[in-house]
Amino acid sequence: MFYQCPKCKKIWQYSIKNCPDCFLELKRINTQKAKVIGVSKVNIPSFLHPKVPYFTLVLEDEKGNKWVQKSSKEYKIGDVVEYESSQDKNTVAIWRIKYDILEGIERVIELLGGLKIEPETKILILPALTFSKHPYFAENTTPQFLENLIRYLLQSGGKTENVKVAGQSFDEIPIEAIAQKSQLLRVCQNFKILPLDLAKSNFVKKSINNFNFEVSEELFNSDLIINLPILKMGKEEASENILKVLKKENYLGLKYLFSKEEIKENLNKVLRSNLNTLSNYLTIADAEVVQKPDKFTTFLGLILASFNSFNLDRVFAEISMIKDLPECLKNVKIKDIPIAGRQIEEVQLTFY
Amino acid sequence: MFIKGVGMTKFDYSQKPWWQFAFEAAMEALKDADMKISEIEAIVFSGVSSAAGGEHQTHKVSLLSDLFKTNIPIIETPSVCSGGGVATWTANRLGFKNILVIGADKLVDNRSEITTDWIMSAAERIIEQTEGMLFPVQNALVWQQYMEKYEANMDDLALIAFKNHQNAVLNPKAYYYQRPVSLEDIKKSPIVCSPFRLMDCSLSVNGGAAAILSKEKTDIEIIGSSLNTDYLLTFGREIITHFKATRLAAEAAFKEAKIKPKDIDIAEVHDAFTSVELFSYEDLGFAPIGKGAELIRQGKVNLDGELPINPSGGLKAKGHPISATGLAQIYEVVNQMRGKCEERQVKPLPQIGLCHNIGGVGGSVTVHILRKIKN
Repeated sequence: MFYQCPKCKKIWQYSIKNCPDCFLELKRINTQKAKVIGVSKVNIPSFLHPKVPYFTLVLEDEKGNKWVQKSSKEYKIGDVVEYESSQDKNTVAIWRIKYDILEGIERVIELLGGLKIEPETKILILPALTFSKHPYFAENTTPQFLENLIRYLLQSGGKTENVKVAGQSFDEIPIEAIAQKSQLLRVCQNFKILPLDLAKSNFVKKSINNFNFEVSEELFNSDLIINLPILKMGKEEASENILKVLKKENYLGLKYLFSKEEIKENLNKVLRSNLNTLSNYLTIADAEVVQKPDKFTTFLGLILASFNSFNLDRVFAEISMIKDLPECLKNVKIKDIPIAGRQIEEVQLTFY
Repeated sequence: MFIKGVGMTKFDYSQKPWWQFAFEAAMEALKDADMKISEIEAIVFSGVSSAAGGEHQTHKVSLLSDLFKTNIPIIETPSVCSGGGVATWTANRLGFKNILVIGADKLVDNRSEITTDWIMSAAERIIEQTEGMLFPVQNALVWQQYMEKYEANMDDLALIAFKNHQNAVLNPKAYYYQRPVSLEDIKKSPIVCSPFRLMDCSLSVNGGAAAILSKEKTDIEIIGSSLNTDYLLTFGREIITHFKATRLAAEAAFKEAKIKPKDIDIAEVHDAFTSVELFSYEDLGFAPIGKGAELIRQGKVNLDGELPINPSGGLKAKGHPISATGLAQIYEVVNQMRGKCEERQVKPLPQIGLCHNIGGVGGSVTVHILRKIKN
């Protein structure tokens, strides 16, 4: 992504808003296709890139803008680099966030084939609202991630009156306290979007196998559900976050009878069989700064998206190089997951 | 301003704290100037130490106050690898009668991944490093662009490495002192990031260097002093085969000194990578653009050539202790002009010398031109 002053034509790769000379707002320039003008095969491991060899490419677009990109695949000078989108609903899209979260959201949605958003499309956003903590703890979806998703939805044709941001507290902490400290409430207020406590919504009964779920009616009243978790290493936050659509008492009751993994798997089946189409339920995951297993945070600079939250969690576990996979991901074979955008090897880290 | 005294520690892997390197270099400079610390009006310090050793002191000016038992103004001008040059540039403009300039770093104190990670804090992390851009990779890619456009090859770089290693063998303060490296060893060294071999990279070491600048006339005058910068993102720049900041700094320093590149008798050029030395010949005006390789092929930049470059061994073989490097260049040029370099003494005695110090991949550059004052 580049940013250009409409007057003096200077170009930035940093996402600043205005030209320091002309004071005009910069125009965003998105590049889809680039030519390789330089390649270095790197044989020295480093903290950020422990796996060698890899390739660092110098890329140039048709306007002469240049940037660098890591690749696990070997390219030659003159080759063209472009990313194809996938129509497979099991695909996980991976992209790097380089300060511009909006660009990351645009890219991963594009890589999954795009979203059709009309002014009347009813959209339900489910951010991770788990702990009453400031954003820097990376416990809850970050306010900037939610803000940029809403910006994306509005620029794609959505209307704020048809957007709902919902959450539910499964413990004693009031959802209002979590929403306020996480700053997600402020984002909703800025967009004049009314935040919704799912606990106060109607719940409908849905059964599968021996599971009797009580699922918020809001899901079935929405045309598009966006699961918006923040990822945590060693956990399966994408599939975990969707549990918040269950009635609290129902969830706590199910927990006595079944493992969390079983609940998640069956809830996923219920949602898939009851929602109109799979395209109605998309996970876009914040992995810019994530919690490590010891709860300290680390920069990853990533965004992941998929219509299959289990696949997304499995891909993130692979990126994090977590040795002990969470139980519900053990049967998800990484080799079977189609990837769009950046490849796992390009973004994998071992040192934090 | 004039240079009254210079000092420098041995460049190596000593595990002394950074302030000991700073103190030792400063004491040598004071002795060289025949001065006491109480005669110094201000200190400019540059350092980024340290890595993982637990001594990441961020209030170095107060520690230096304690070491020298002084309450004079002390300021810090860290600018990574160009820190020594930037400290000198700053001191030259502050207007004090006698000012002590110090650069010192102990950055190598752990496994190379840790040291590299610290050094890489001088590069762009979110946009470039996540994409595999380490300093050698950045420089390798710039060099690749150069080779695509101009006539030069990896053998030219091997000759530069060999020249600098030969010079370092004669420099008691260089890491490679009395440790010869053959041209064959250089050419056979492993490829770290194509097209660079290990021996195209400079040597990260620990060390300190210092100089005392004075308004009082001495035997060495600073006749040109400049500082320029360029964008952090290497390929977002106007020029991607050379360093624009070097060109601008050189032009400004030569203009101030009222001399031409052909008037330079000796130069210490920032050879963080062998390629940087080669295209800096051009950026500094010693060779036409695209013709830098001819200087090394024809031996013109050897110790006995018409323009000896890096007689100290350079960053390549003397070693590169980050913030100390710019002042170590001044130390070398001053001692060369004073005829104190024994085995590696350039003859006839150089009268005008140039010091070229770079931070990052051409992101900040200083050029200082020194002239020997005749008695």
